[in-house]
Amino acid sequence: PRPDVHPVAPGTHLLFAQSGKIEQVPLDGYNIKKEEAKPLLHIPDRVVIAVAYDCVEKKVYWTDITGPAISRASLSGGDVSHVVTTDLQSPEGIAVDHVARLLFWTDSMRDTVEVSKLDGSQRQVLFDTDLVNPRAIVTNPAYGRLYWADWNRDGPKIEMSNMDGTERVVLVKDDLGLPNGLTFDPDNQQLCWADAGKTPLASVRDSQGGVYGSSPQAEEADRRRDPVPVRALISFGRNLYYTDWRREAVVAVDRQSEKETEEFLPQKRSRLYGITATSTQCPQAYNYCSD
Amino acid sequence: DATRGTSGDCQPCPCPSGATCAVVLTTREVVCTNCPTGTTGKRCELCDDGFFGDPLGQSGPVRACRACKCSDNIDPNAAVGNCNRETGECLKCIYNTDGFFCDRCKEGFYGNALATNPADKCKPCSCSLAGTVGRQTSCSQVTGQCQCLPNVAERDCSTCQPGFFNLQSGNGCERCNCNPIGSTN
Repeated sequence: PRPDVHPVAPGTHLLFAQSGKIEQVPLDGYNIKKEEAKPLLHIPDRVVIAVAYDCVEKKVYWTDITGPAISRASLSGGDVSHVVTTDLQSPEGIAVDHVARLLFWTDSMRDTVEVSKLDGSQRQVLFDTDLVNPRAIVTNPAYGRLYWADWNRDGPKIEMSNMDGTERVVLVKDDLGLPNGLTFDPDNQQLCWADAGKTPLASVRDSQGGVYGSSPQAEEADRRRDPVPVRALISFGRNLYYTDWRREAVVAVDRQSEKETEEFLPQKRSRLYGITATSTQCPQAYNYCSD
Repeated sequence: DATRGTSGDCQPCPCPSGATCAVVLTTREVVCTNCPTGTTGKRCELCDDGFFGDPLGQSGPVRACRACKCSDNIDPNAAVGNCNRETGECLKCIYNTDGFFCDRCKEGFYGNALATNPADKCKPCSCSLAGTVGRQTSCSQVTGQCQCLPNVAERDCSTCQPGFFNLQSGNGCERCNCNPIGSTN
């Protein structure tokens, strides 16, 4: 184990990127145990953007735009290693399918959505057309689906496809500003996003793998509020946790009441990027990619 | 190592004032942990995301880290990696701009990249394929004039000059050759 890596204690933690490091902070129920925040990993010469968690091997994956590289480390003792280092320009979003053991990422300069095994092998470009500023990407392992957001100002959209690249469709394109963060809630089969340019948090439900649409009531309510300066968000149980670029804080929101419940200001005041949660359970699922 | 009992046990952090440091036990490497705003790196020698410069003067004179200067044609919040952390070259120009400082229109667009209103910045050339030399898609950066085939008119080379016809030939327009006596114009 490397001494600059602090092992994550059992229980759920939030992991978030702050420029040259990944910070960890435990959750007590849904409360952020602020006084127990500490760095998981110091990578001072890198700018870490997105983080994703593999609940099976208990590893954190991240993209860094300075390498550029995609790397991983275990939560128990380090094992820092690069997964992808070639043919990357601005890898900004990352997602793991813990079932099929796949890694997905977006590159906002290559304008691609790509896939590989978790060790970086068998890499393939899934999409390289109709992408301008792809960033956030998430998986729905139970349905073998992939969702990503493109915050292109001339045509922002949230798209979906199967994990093998088939059946690509635009899920949301109306009333979007800067769709920045995406998260998938497996309990409710609900895709949530943060729009930093227009409405705040909104969602659509994945109903048995087919019918999609945004909720008109939610949109009506959202239009009256200010945009939320969100860089990334993660759904965990009844809460959403997001990194806020204005306050340089991690903010907790209760999804039901849509009220902010907590704010965590890290000791170092600098930009926060990706966020994920290391839940103790790994949702049981099976999908066609796991064959 | 404060336990050896020598005068050299504790040394000052090799970091700018205000920053703290820590020793990585295995490598005994010293890493700064709280670099001043806008800086990062083991010795606070790098500029943070969204800033550029050379805070310790490692490759020339000292240049404090400053926010990326990209002619207001970047998104400082939504985008990451907006400029090269050392040179300041803009990497994530928006509004169809391009160039070191996002200060000109990108290929295939024309207008004033420095206009204040995004709608007034860079517009697509939209050159008419049939009327433009070599079916080019780029145009004059300033006027937006596409390079028209012979006897073709308009900024986008979309019509024949008066007295000419057959734009679709792809070779320019031909003279009408109408008999002046039997024609109305």
